[in-house]
Amino acid sequence: MSEKLKVAIRNLNVHYGNKQALFDVNLNIMEKEVTSLIGPSGCGKSTLLKCINRMNDLVEICNIKGQILLDSEDINDENQDPVLLRMKIGMVFQKPNPFPKSIYDNVAFGPKLHGMVKSKGELDNIVVQSLSKSGLYDEVKDRLFEPGTSLSGGQQQRLCIARALAVNPEILLMDEPCSALDPIATAKIEDLIAELKQQYTIVIVTHSMQQAARVSDRTAYMHMGELIETGMTKSIFSNPQHEKTQDYITGRIG
Amino acid sequence: MNSITARNKSEKRFKMYGKVAVTVAISFLVILLYNIFSSGISAFKQTYVAVQLDIPANLDKKTLNPRSELNKSFLKMFPDLQSRAEKRAALSLLSKGARYEFKDLLLNNEGKDLKGYYWFLASSDLDMYIKGTVKRQGDTAGRIDEYQMKLIDILQSKNLVELHSNKYLFSSADSREPEMAGIKGAILGSLYAIIIAFLVSFPIAVMSAVYLEKIATKNRFSDIIETNINNLAAVPSIVFGLLGLAIFLNFFELPRSAPLVGGLTLALMTLPTIVIAARAAIKSVPPSIEEAAIGLGASKVQTIFGFTLPLAMPGILTGTIIGIAQAIGETAPLLMIGMVAFVVDAPGGPMDASTALPVQIYLWADSPERAFTERTSAAIMVLLGFLILLNLTAIYLRKKLEKKW
Repeated sequence: MSEKLKVAIRNLNVHYGNKQALFDVNLNIMEKEVTSLIGPSGCGKSTLLKCINRMNDLVEICNIKGQILLDSEDINDENQDPVLLRMKIGMVFQKPNPFPKSIYDNVAFGPKLHGMVKSKGELDNIVVQSLSKSGLYDEVKDRLFEPGTSLSGGQQQRLCIARALAVNPEILLMDEPCSALDPIATAKIEDLIAELKQQYTIVIVTHSMQQAARVSDRTAYMHMGELIETGMTKSIFSNPQHEKTQDYITGRIG
Repeated sequence: MNSITARNKSEKRFKMYGKVAVTVAISFLVILLYNIFSSGISAFKQTYVAVQLDIPANLDKKTLNPRSELNKSFLKMFPDLQSRAEKRAALSLLSKGARYEFKDLLLNNEGKDLKGYYWFLASSDLDMYIKGTVKRQGDTAGRIDEYQMKLIDILQSKNLVELHSNKYLFSSADSREPEMAGIKGAILGSLYAIIIAFLVSFPIAVMSAVYLEKIATKNRFSDIIETNINNLAAVPSIVFGLLGLAIFLNFFELPRSAPLVGGLTLALMTLPTIVIAARAAIKSVPPSIEEAAIGLGASKVQTIFGFTLPLAMPGILTGTIIGIAQAIGETAPLLMIGMVAFVVDAPGGPMDASTALPVQIYLWADSPERAFTERTSAAIMVLLGFLILLNLTAIYLRKKLEKKW
């Protein structure tokens, strides 16, 4: 663990129309660590996650106040290009959403889009590397040109991870990546997260406290749009400071 | 227990209502189709009369007057005819088109003997009698008088009257003589108009749908546009005809009766239909795919053209073809811009005066001659064929472009 600050969220307030979704959130995300966001449904975990790569820009009624600093630069600054930002910050969604294209084209989409490759060979390399990183290559190497949608749910999700890795991001945001998967596929994704944190900073939203305990270094507990408590995962789960956190992790609410 | 039997009964009753409704609908369709086919199928055959020719090879065929020569040959077959009235009655058994057929025959047989029986187009009165559309009553049948009936009996006894396939139906445009009238002009006119309507309305409608659905900010202004588009789809088509008349003919001074103007007018009419279908199709594209593309750093336009539009395309095309099929059967707006004209030549291009299939049907249905009745039905059959073809294309495209995710 490098203990280097990667993303700093400062006094973040988010409104959807008249409804406030996040209240004064402050959070530090360390480089090459897994930070998990836990909390009951509707507490603002996903909203917070989407603010980090400005996916909320697409929601017209969304209004963001406060600062999110990526390597000490404000990502909401006028000079920031959201396209370049999303290249640096990859995202994996709750439901596996491969493009209706071949496995190869799914992974090759990002590098081609950003003009990262000059030759077919380079592109092939990136595709193989990304699929290997997501642990999918051995399973699909003989059928790279079959549609991505022909894979199983867990494989599709790893394909989506490979697709996100192909543009060489610094941060990987995962929005409940295992909620649509069975326990075996979930275990594979969790192993993958443990491997990926050697190279990437990962923020994961999860509903499963066991998963947060298994995969993350730091945990942030959110409740009703407020960040209640944040700290090392071990200490949060063994010795929560706040009453609401205690209630949630012991299963009294949520 | 009682309530369960009552419930089962009501389910059975409901199923029966459904079956009855479907049966009634299908029987109406069958009656309609039977009606059209039974009266239209005879238009694909045409009565021909054999005329004995005796023209030697050494005769210069260019100097011959085809009309008088044909009449002479025909009358020679009936030596008993004396009075002018009898002769005139005999000659009216042949169509006016027969002399053109005879002229072609002469030109194609330069320097050859023309001896023996050759087939020539019969008049529509004879045609109607041979086909049994007009029944014989004593010595007359419809417009056929007793002189003609005598000759017909002679011709029939020598097997000199026959039904051949109708080559005029698809190879000529409209004519005052029913036996020479065809739908080539109408088909070409419809085709040009539809191609122009598609080329104009499709890109405009799809771009409007993309803009309204994906790019425009939702405010009072976009609400007004949306309401207006939905209202436009319900505007009577004749109003679009008036609009076309005012804009394309009076303001831009484009040629009257041209398929170009017809196509543009139909495009106006089809526009709201396609916009509505395209918006629904775009709306039904799963947002997860678009999110994935945007999450990878694709811009809005890249996402729309890379994913949203290709995934929405089957729905857009289905809507477009429904709109085009509606336009192909539309008569009222074409009446307003002058495509209701009597045009004897098939159009050579979209700027030539022409009519369209539904308008041709309307014109023929309005004509007094009996022989136009069967042609009306034949033209309806062709129009239905067109529509079936379009719908099959829609189904094929949808199946081909549909992707699972």
